[in-house]
Amino acid sequence: MSEYAHPEVLVSTDWVKENLGKDGIKIVEIDVDTQQYDVGHVPGAIGLNWETQLQNQVRRDIASKEEFEQMMRDVGISNDDTVILYGDNNNWFAAYGFWLFKLYGHKDVRLMNGGRNKWLNEDDKELVAERPSYAASNYTVSEVNNDLRALLPKVFEAQQGGHNLVDVRSPDEYTGKVIAPPGMSETAQRGGHIPGAANIPWSTTVQGDGTFKSLGDLKELYGSKGVDFAKPTIAYCRIGERSSHTWFVLKYLLGVKDVRNYDGSWTEYGNLIGAGIEK
Amino acid sequence: MNHQTRVYESVFEMLPTEENPSPIVRINRLNPEPDFRMYAKLEWQNPFGSVKDRAAWSLLSDLEARGELSAERGIVEPTSGNTGISLAGMASARGYKTRTIVPNKVPMEKKVMLKMAGADLDVVTDDLCPSPGMGDGSINLAKTYAKSQKSRYVMPNQYENEHNVNAHIRTTGPEIRRQTEGKITHLFTSLGTCGTVTGCATYLKEQNPDIKVYAVQPSEGHDVPGLRNVSQLDVSKLFNPDLIDEILEIDFELAYTRALELCQNEGLFAGPSSGLIFEGACQIASRDKNGFGVMIFCDSIFKYVSNMVKHIPELSEGTTPPNAK
Ligand SMILES: Cc1ncc(COP(=O)(O)O)c(C=O)c1O
Repeated sequence: MSEYAHPEVLVSTDWVKENLGKDGIKIVEIDVDTQQYDVGHVPGAIGLNWETQLQNQVRRDIASKEEFEQMMRDVGISNDDTVILYGDNNNWFAAYGFWLFKLYGHKDVRLMNGGRNKWLNEDDKELVAERPSYAASNYTVSEVNNDLRALLPKVFEAQQGGHNLVDVRSPDEYTGKVIAPPGMSETAQRGGHIPGAANIPWSTTVQGDGTFKSLGDLKELYGSKGVDFAKPTIAYCRIGERSSHTWFVLKYLLGVKDVRNYDGSWTEYGNLIGAGIEK
Repeated sequence: MNHQTRVYESVFEMLPTEENPSPIVRINRLNPEPDFRMYAKLEWQNPFGSVKDRAAWSLLSDLEARGELSAERGIVEPTSGNTGISLAGMASARGYKTRTIVPNKVPMEKKVMLKMAGADLDVVTDDLCPSPGMGDGSINLAKTYAKSQKSRYVMPNQYENEHNVNAHIRTTGPEIRRQTEGKITHLFTSLGTCGTVTGCATYLKEQNPDIKVYAVQPSEGHDVPGLRNVSQLDVSKLFNPDLIDEILEIDFELAYTRALELCQNEGLFAGPSSGLIFEGACQIASRDKNGFGVMIFCDSIFKYVSNMVKHIPELSEGTTPPNAK
């Protein structure tokens, strides 16, 4: 892990086990399938729900600065806590949470490599059903890093050139054969991809045990698809969770300076009147 | 127990063994090659209704023998339905509790059947964008129960447990050998946990290395309960490609249309995985011309009425009075 551009943002399952219950460390589980946390989680882990807590409940938007602040206060996370995120589906929503924590300026946030599934399959790791409770904090958000986020105008600007656009969905979504994976309720009117985007599915960045591939392999993967690490880069998927995973890879493992997550993703872009689409 | 008069002191005495095999029945009207004999092994004749009676009994007896079960500590298991139905039926009859975890695409009939058999039921969303290391939602949730609530649950894990394979080495394999008087040349199975194919192939190839083993897999994006496409097989630790001569990929719609043909032409009320196996067997029979094939027909069509109607919508036509509003 030490070879990555920012190795400090990644911890192993063993590291988490050794640091369980330590002051100043808060472990947070964020799942696609929220029943998993309810049945069992890493001892002491707080559970956050991406649908009801990480999103604004009225507008289509991420939790606002005030909502994020209140959520941190309620669950008892302080500004100087080290936050360790993990989740199911190889950290899809844990990575989305990581992006949100960084957007709202949390200093020390890290991802558990391999996520929930790696922990689950290691014999020496425990899971508990009891929910922890921590004293409320007085968390304050003092900076908002909007440069980690791509809104629609930025996506149009990127299409003019000088940028990498990375579509991290499955090949069938990229080519427009399907609009979304089967059974998903959030879809779009049209299928296809943003003109000029390269298809590098998020899953190609991980190994068999769900941990990230080596730096060399990642460089080769993105390089072979024409990604120029010196250029500003935008990653997108369907609703911005799988692309958070790739955003993390590009920014923290590969060290690309300017990477943004387009959280509107295909469910915004594929609904626009008149926007260019490639198939 | 007396298999002649079929008088039994408990349902467990009805479980299949070499002395009490599930029947094999010849395919007549739908056989494409007169010189290729095709027999279907009707696993729905087992007391809990599927091939999974074999694995479930093997898993449950092992847990019992090791003292893992009690009135307070039951079973948790991921299932596409059949293993759960067998386990729940057996466990209820012995006084243990069962919790089954199923993917959402499992048909309603099976979900309700699990509850009727006495199981607690958890349903997980289907896997959206499978990738290495992600596992399978139902397996992951079952493992989570087994790990976080050890005093309440033990997980046999049919995807990894050798007793699943052993059940077929002990029963299915010897039954087939005896029923065909050793004449079997081709075995046709499907791939789920792979207990059936690995166990039967191990036994039969040991008896006669010339026996060919064919496995069918539904095309990607399928909804054939119990089966896995090769891309979904990394969770099936019992899969051993060395024992399989050929894996045939078959359009999953044929699982449903072939099952219907078996109902309407052979009097065999076979479920969709049997339909897929039948299609694979017909392809090989037409190619090889000569042989003695046995197909494992895992379960019957009764649990798939909703799937059948979804895939063959005409089946729901005329099911209400013509003047009904
Ligand atoms: C209907 C049906 N067909 C086929 C199979 C596959 O059998 P196996 O798991 O032994 O590979 C299953 C297993 O769940 C099943 O339920």
